[in-house]
Amino acid sequence: MASVKRIALSVVLLVALGLPPPTEVYSAESSTTLAAPQSFDGISDRAERSAALFAEAGKVLTSARCVNCHPAGDRPLQGETRRLHQPPVARGSDGFGTPAMRCATCHQSANFDPAGVPGHPHWHLAPSEMAWQNKTPGEICTQIKDPARNGGRSLQQILTHVADDSLVGWAWTPGGGREPAPGTQKELGALIQAWLNTGAVCPK
Amino acid sequence: MTEMSVTINGKAYGPFEIRDTLSMNDFLREHLGLTGTKFGCGLAQCLSCAVIIDNPDGTSHTSPTCVVPAAGFAGKSIRTIEGHAQNGQLSLLQKAFVEHFAFQCGYCTPGFVNEGQVLLERLAKTPVARAELDTTIREALDGHLCRCTGYVKYHEAMRDVILADPNRYLS
Repeated sequence: MASVKRIALSVVLLVALGLPPPTEVYSAESSTTLAAPQSFDGISDRAERSAALFAEAGKVLTSARCVNCHPAGDRPLQGETRRLHQPPVARGSDGFGTPAMRCATCHQSANFDPAGVPGHPHWHLAPSEMAWQNKTPGEICTQIKDPARNGGRSLQQILTHVADDSLVGWAWTPGGGREPAPGTQKELGALIQAWLNTGAVCPK
Repeated sequence: MTEMSVTINGKAYGPFEIRDTLSMNDFLREHLGLTGTKFGCGLAQCLSCAVIIDNPDGTSHTSPTCVVPAAGFAGKSIRTIEGHAQNGQLSLLQKAFVEHFAFQCGYCTPGFVNEGQVLLERLAKTPVARAELDTTIREALDGHLCRCTGYVKYHEAMRDVILADPNRYLS
């Protein structure tokens, strides 16, 4: 909380001096929270504001809760260290696992904390073309906007996926001592909506 | 707490009132005394705890029981190692494992028997070419860990069972 106050004071001082607040200020020091879209209103340039909004949303998209199931390879990742999933399972032909080891075999419809196994009724990997591992928010943004790599979705559908999909929502109730994604799904949805409203510009 | 009923080796069990944190492995071993299903790693790595789940569509697959809640098996029909022998007679696959000396301590064996049986039933429905057999067996048994043997004799036993009835298992 003290750090947020310092940031706010810095913004006030910079604005008083007629200097534009650096966009970095709006990526709050805390990695567990998301700044509200309104806090970016001070960025007068619409494109810059849009990019900053996505960069903030990128804190979620680059978190382990998301990247672990958006891997670059054919194996999911695990844990905060994003190690290769053990046991050594693979995505299979449909992202739901191989015939002998489907994701749902171990990952039930809800988290099973006694065994540390997360769960959701639709547990599976994102398609390979939606890999986010080792990508910057800017690269993920470009990917998300590309219908060839986002499952043919419109930007509005992307918003719906991010804001309403319950598997995405699992990221905030991961159980098992896992770190939730920053903020809340509702806050992420608000950021993406604001990003869309400002032209859906990707950060560099 | 969850109410749960399950069919095991053709026999209906339940309903039971079980706690939500109960693993299927503990349910089988501690509540039902079906200790043929082993607890190995507790991480779904070794698959010595695997049982067969018979799906409504006629297919079957194996599932670890160490990391899966018992409640997750509610309403399902499963087979454990205890269900393979009939009337005191070992199954063809069990006999093959014995004849090939495929196991030593036997701890991993229930998982191998279950997985092997699922493979046989899959091949009976969808045969594979002879040239694909070794790869098919290897992929099916992949993931089952054995600390005593070098896996070769499990593989050979499976192959011999399949090759003994090629019209059934091979295309």
